[in-house]
Amino acid sequence: MASHDWQALVARHARATGAGNLPPQTIDELAAHLEDLYLEGIEAGLSDSDAFSSAEAALQESALSIVPAPRTRTPASRPWAVPPERERGLIGLSGDLRFAWRQMRRAPSFAIVAIVTLGLGAGAATAIFTVVNTILLRPLPFSAPQQLVMLWEQNLEKSLPREHVSPVNFMDYRAIPAVFQDAAAWWRPDINLADPGAEPVRVSTIEVSGNVFEVLGVSPALGAGFPARGPFYSRDLIAVISDRLWREHYHSDPSVIGKPLRVSNGQYTIAGVMPPGFNFPDDVDLWLRLNWDLTQHSRGAHFMQAIARMKPGVTVEQASRELSRLTARLGSENPATNRAWNAYATPLLDDLLGYYRLALIVLLGAVALVLLTACLNVASLLLARATARAREIAVRAALGASRARLVRQMLVESLLLSAAGTAAGAAAAFVFVKAAVAWLPMAVPRLEETTIDARVLAFTIAVVAVTAVLFGLLPAVILSRTNASEALKAGTRMAGSLRGRRWNRALVVSEVALACAVLLASALLVRSVSRMLRAPIGIVSTDVVVARVQVSGGSIRSWDDVEQFYAAFLDNAGAQPGVEAVGAATALPLDAAWATRLPFGVEGTTVAALDNPLAQHVSVTPGYFETLKVPLAAGRLFTAADTKATEPVIVVNETFARRVFPGGDAVGRRIISKTRNIGPLGVNLFGPVPFRIIGVVGDIQHAPIGRPAEPAIYHTARQFPFRPMHIVARGRDHAAVAAALRQAVRAVDPSLPLSEMRTMDERVLAAVAAPRLLMFVLTAFAVITAALAGIGVYGLLACVVNDRRREMAIRMALGARPAALARNVAGQGLLLVSIGVFVGLSVAQLLFGRLLTQVLFETRTTDPVAAVAAAALLLGAAVIACTAPARRAATVAPLEGLKSE
Amino acid sequence: MLRRPAIGEAKKGSAEVVILSIVEQDSQHGYAIAKLIERRSGGDLRFTLASLYATLYRMEERGWIKGRWVEKPGQRRRCYYRITEQGRKVLASQRADWGRFLAVLSQVAGVEAV
Repeated sequence: MASHDWQALVARHARATGAGNLPPQTIDELAAHLEDLYLEGIEAGLSDSDAFSSAEAALQESALSIVPAPRTRTPASRPWAVPPERERGLIGLSGDLRFAWRQMRRAPSFAIVAIVTLGLGAGAATAIFTVVNTILLRPLPFSAPQQLVMLWEQNLEKSLPREHVSPVNFMDYRAIPAVFQDAAAWWRPDINLADPGAEPVRVSTIEVSGNVFEVLGVSPALGAGFPARGPFYSRDLIAVISDRLWREHYHSDPSVIGKPLRVSNGQYTIAGVMPPGFNFPDDVDLWLRLNWDLTQHSRGAHFMQAIARMKPGVTVEQASRELSRLTARLGSENPATNRAWNAYATPLLDDLLGYYRLALIVLLGAVALVLLTACLNVASLLLARATARAREIAVRAALGASRARLVRQMLVESLLLSAAGTAAGAAAAFVFVKAAVAWLPMAVPRLEETTIDARVLAFTIAVVAVTAVLFGLLPAVILSRTNASEALKAGTRMAGSLRGRRWNRALVVSEVALACAVLLASALLVRSVSRMLRAPIGIVSTDVVVARVQVSGGSIRSWDDVEQFYAAFLDNAGAQPGVEAVGAATALPLDAAWATRLPFGVEGTTVAALDNPLAQHVSVTPGYFETLKVPLAAGRLFTAADTKATEPVIVVNETFARRVFPGGDAVGRRIISKTRNIGPLGVNLFGPVPFRIIGVVGDIQHAPIGRPAEPAIYHTARQFPFRPMHIVARGRDHAAVAAALRQAVRAVDPSLPLSEMRTMDERVLAAVAAPRLLMFVLTAFAVITAALAGIGVYGLLACVVNDRRREMAIRMALGARPAALARNVAGQGLLLVSIGVFVGLSVAQLLFGRLLTQVLFETRTTDPVAAVAAAALLLGAAVIACTAPARRAATVAPLEGLKSE
Repeated sequence: MLRRPAIGEAKKGSAEVVILSIVEQDSQHGYAIAKLIERRSGGDLRFTLASLYATLYRMEERGWIKGRWVEKPGQRRRCYYRITEQGRKVLASQRADWGRFLAVLSQVAGVEAV
């Protein structure tokens, strides 16, 4: 009597007939049965092979797939007690889970693909949600932050939508009793910490009204800070420092309170240290209490920033309405300075985030599409596999499993997959976000506070549930409808597959459409960013190094000293090797912080006070325009000969010349600038006297990219000196230029620091940092969705080729050319992708056309180049996805198909 | 005597009552159950391997029978099925049903119970 491996025989047969991996107990039981049959044959006198054949025949006539799989009996541990009725549901669920687990183990490659796909989608979603949660959803660390608003002024007639506020106006706004509890205002002086015996350091400083911490509702960690209900401004100079400055500069010395703090414009007393992580209005290290009376400044100078706390129950809209009412009155009372000026309030958080808020909303939308694409992809995978399981399901239905029970089982399988995928994706996302935050070159507000909290976890769990239903429900419902007898009658090449494939096609088209929408969005961003980078800013930015100097200290006491310092410094720097040209200005191109737009008059004309034109005032040194290669349209530029001793002169930009002198005769005319001071750190050495226009230069962008050019007046720093200046120097070798600037400053005054050293190109890039970041992240999402869609197309075509193998073999046998079959398969794929692209392009407009418009620069959402690029990329991906199935179709052997039934 | 197709139909409904009656006295393993059915029906009732075990598992799931694995030295382990209390109730009611059915059948169609 030969020995036979009955278990192996049963397992092989089970797999061959689509029953999959039976549990070991069932295999044992069936094997024992077969062995008994075999032994019966031997006993009846059959030969070994005949006895084996009869046992095998008994197996062959059995459709093992009807044997229910979820049996986990073990010889020892089987409980005898019948579970009480109410426990059945739970036990059923654990059975479902075990069954689902076995289904995953049975087809590991399917499980891996599904988990990776879901992981990509869920990971991207979790990453973005973590960021959204940190930045948008978490309340600001101030008391009742929803009552805090920023105050802004605007003059739409002069296309200035958002300006800092004038100090005098601010005092009026603060006094609106109906809406505001209190308001604080600040401006940013340039401050060096100048402790004796230590290197001078630039510190980020605001000079702010004494009530700021009360308005915010925060207290210092150390010391009393500015006295509660103390004066709004005071000559008594006190300062509060940041935790960072306290640690780095004062070595966390608790006795620092009351100690003197020497800065470039005086000596303050340290009154407090703020708690770690406190940064308002941004990364500020030094809060100086305001030491001058805001009401004594000008209504026409817009350079203060302001925050207000609204009374409880007051809305932002109410506050803005009250502000408008007041500004209308101020406009009629002070037409020269306030006509057409309006003020409004914006929620503090929106204000802090700016572009990032919109960008995050766009990303949230994009990531939803990525996740949806991943779900559709897994749905079509499940569907493809499910058609292969149709028989199993039909048998289970025939054996009495209800439809609800079948759907539940399949949903449990989906849940297991989505839980695994989401867990993997979320874990990767957390690591990735941490790394990305550390790596990001720009400061995104609040981002460094990223943590995982209950809300993120809840979101992740929601992702698991929603995705499981999204991708699991459709296949489950389709399959549970499968007609049992139909499935049982059909051969191994499934019935029901036809309907499944139809759904599968719909899924693939949807995937492609979604991928197309995301691709389109990223293509639009690419267009927008490249347009921003190419937008004319009026200068040649390559090979220019910029740095910042703030003169202060013992040797420089008068404005003449300031003027002479810069003259000597620039002479020295210009003579250094590697420096082709050098100059300085009070505001660099793209400087959005520029806020000094001041009124002026034109000599010989009687301009009505109401039409008082505004212009930006910039003070520049001789050499500045030459260094930046700003074109000279008429007249001449400043020279070293234009000094305090000669006639006051200015250069204006083309917009100024065009608006004020439409006849084109600007050069030689005189204007009266009433400006004596621009902030406390610069001074007009002449007072309110006429300045002669000596030249007209091309417009330099002195606002964020995309704003229209404004009239600008350039003074020479020799007649209108400033303590802080931006240095610009041209030279091919940037390192040599930087070294030359350092060398020059050391030669003239070794106590002065050079700060913010970088190239002009880096500044230009930094100006588009936020849209570029959005562009990169969107592009990453676009690549993921396009890849998912490509996988979807590939999967579908592979199934189709598999389904049609026999038909193709017959065609081949009848003389069809392989290339024609390949074309047929590839054509199907490309047709689906084309439909998807068309749907995607149209739907993208509806889905987020309006939202995208807000983050795009001079790019319409209907941009044809972006649309063509998105379509071409997807079709390219589709061609790659079609290649392998098409090749397989071309290599079907004519005989193979005939044998396969 | 019933003709073949009719037997097939009747068999479906009767499989459970047949199995219940087999394990009513003694617990039996699957092969023994198959043999007993075959013997008692004179070869007219036969289950394929799959349908036998599918029916057994279904009945077990419903709580009519219980399987217990038994290992004996030198033998394959086998699962012995025995009837449960619930199974006895089902068997009793099904016997009554079938009795009535056969009685009606003999009365109406002139079929004699074998």
